[in-house]
Amino acid sequence: MLHTIATAPIRNTAILALALLAAAPVRAQTPDPAPPSAERTTGISGYMDFHFNKHEFEDGRLDFHRFVLLITHNFSDRIRFVSELELEHGFVEGLEEAGELELEQAYVDFLLSRRFNVRAGMMLVPVGIINERHEPPVYYGVERPFVDTVIIPTTWFEAGVGVHGEVGRGWRYRAFVMSPLNARKFNAEEGIRGGRQKGSDTNIGRPAVTGRLEYVGVRGLTVGASFWTGRSGFEFRPRFDVPVTVGEADVRYSRDRLELRAQFAHVAVSNAGELNDALSRAVGVDPNVASAMRGAYAEAGYRVLSGTRAGDVGIFTRYENFDTQFRMPSGYLPLEEFNRDAFVFGGTYWPDPDIAIKVDYSIIRSQSSVVVSPNSFNVGLGWWF
Amino acid sequence: MTHILTRFNAFVAVAGLIAACGGAAIAARQQPAQTVEISVERFSFTPSEFKVKAGQPVEIRLRSDDTDHGFRILGTDINVTVPKRGKGAVTVVFEPPKPGRYVFECSKLCGAGHSFMRGALIAE
Repeated sequence: MLHTIATAPIRNTAILALALLAAAPVRAQTPDPAPPSAERTTGISGYMDFHFNKHEFEDGRLDFHRFVLLITHNFSDRIRFVSELELEHGFVEGLEEAGELELEQAYVDFLLSRRFNVRAGMMLVPVGIINERHEPPVYYGVERPFVDTVIIPTTWFEAGVGVHGEVGRGWRYRAFVMSPLNARKFNAEEGIRGGRQKGSDTNIGRPAVTGRLEYVGVRGLTVGASFWTGRSGFEFRPRFDVPVTVGEADVRYSRDRLELRAQFAHVAVSNAGELNDALSRAVGVDPNVASAMRGAYAEAGYRVLSGTRAGDVGIFTRYENFDTQFRMPSGYLPLEEFNRDAFVFGGTYWPDPDIAIKVDYSIIRSQSSVVVSPNSFNVGLGWWF
Repeated sequence: MTHILTRFNAFVAVAGLIAACGGAAIAARQQPAQTVEISVERFSFTPSEFKVKAGQPVEIRLRSDDTDHGFRILGTDINVTVPKRGKGAVTVVFEPPKPGRYVFECSKLCGAGHSFMRGALIAE
C-alpha cells in the first residue's frame, strides 16, 4: 500500500545488478513506516515561545512568553476533546503583568459530517489570521502583529457553542454563540482587548455571535472574512448598552519559498460617549474609548535558503497601520499617539520545520509630536512538538 | 580469477536488468490509473475533496508544507504520517470498494486548528 523509493551511489556492476534484482521485490515488500496509532486515543502536544526584547531607552528583557500544552482525547471517531492550556510569562501571581494561566481551548467536537459539526466549550474566536493559527514556526516576527494585538485581541477565546464544517472543495465556515466582551475594560491604547471575559464565570445575558467564511480550495491560498457582534454593556444596562461589531478580512498565499499575507480589521463601538461618561464618573479617569478602531497590515516573506541540510532561512518585512482612536464619539478628540504605523523586518531560521529562531526590528511611529513610540529589537526561539 | 569475476559480474548485471524490466512491467501493470497529489499544511488538505472511480486503485501522494501531519481514511486501516516540509512525501494506494464518500483527516495533532483538517474522497 505504501511505497518508499530511495536512491544510493552505485559503486560497481555487481552492486548495480543486485540492486536491480532487488528493486522489484522492495517496491512491494517495504514495510510501512509506523503510522500514528489508530488505537491511541489521547494525545499531547504543545508549543513554546522564548523572547528577548530590547526597547529603545530601556534595558533588555528576557521573557519565557508562552508555555502551551495541548491535550486531546478521542472518545470515538465522532466525538473528540481538544484543550490548550497556556502559561504566560513564566509564572502566575494573580496579575496579568506578572503572568497568566489561561485555558484557551477546552471543547468537545461532535463530528457529524464533514459539512456539519457541533462544538461546545472554550473555543477560539474565529477572527483573523493569527487567532487560530499562532504556533511560533508558522508566522514571521518574534511578536505577533500589532493589529492582531490591539485591534483583534489575540489570543481571543471565550466559552460558547457553535457549528463548523467544510463544503465542496475548500469552502469552510464556523458560526459560534459566545460570551460577549465586557465594555468596562475597554481603553484608549488597546481598544477592546481588556474586555475579554476569557470564559471565567462570564455574563451571557445577551450572547455574542461570531462567524468566519474562508476558501482554502487553491493550493497555498487562504481567503477569509469574519465578524463578531455582541452587546458588551451588561454592567451598564438598563441605562445604556454598548453594541460592538468587529469585521475582518484576510488573505494568505504561500508557494515554495514565498509567503504573502494581508489583513484588515475594523471595530465599531456604539454608545462610546455614554461609556466614557459612565466610566469617568465611576473611576475618575476618562478611558477615552473610541467609537471606531481600525488596523491593517501587509507582509511579505521569502525563504532565501530552503531544503538544505542545515534547514531553512527566511527574511520578511511587514507594514502595519493601527489606530485605536480612528473615530471618536461626539465631544471627544482622538489622541494622535494611538494612530500608529509600524515597519517590522527581520528573519527566521528553521533548523527543523518545527523550530524557529527569529530576529526582527520594529520601527514604530505615531502621529503625535509629543509622545514617542519606542522602536524595539527582538530575538525569539519558538518550537512546536 | 579476475576474468571469471568479470564474467560473473556481467551475468549478474544482465540477469538484474532482465529482472528489473520484468519488475517494471509488473509495476506498470499494477500502476494505479488514478493519481491525486495533495498538499498538506496547517490546517488544510488541498484539494480537500476529489472524485475517483470506485473499484479501481488510486494513488494518493501527500507532501507537507510545514510540520508532520497524519493522513487517515476513516473506516479503513490507512493511517500514515506525512513527513515534515523538506523531508519527502508519502504515497498511499487506496481502492475504494464501492461508490460513496470516504472522509479523510489529519490524524496527528498539528496545532490549534487541527480539528478542521478533514476532506472527502468521492468514489463514483
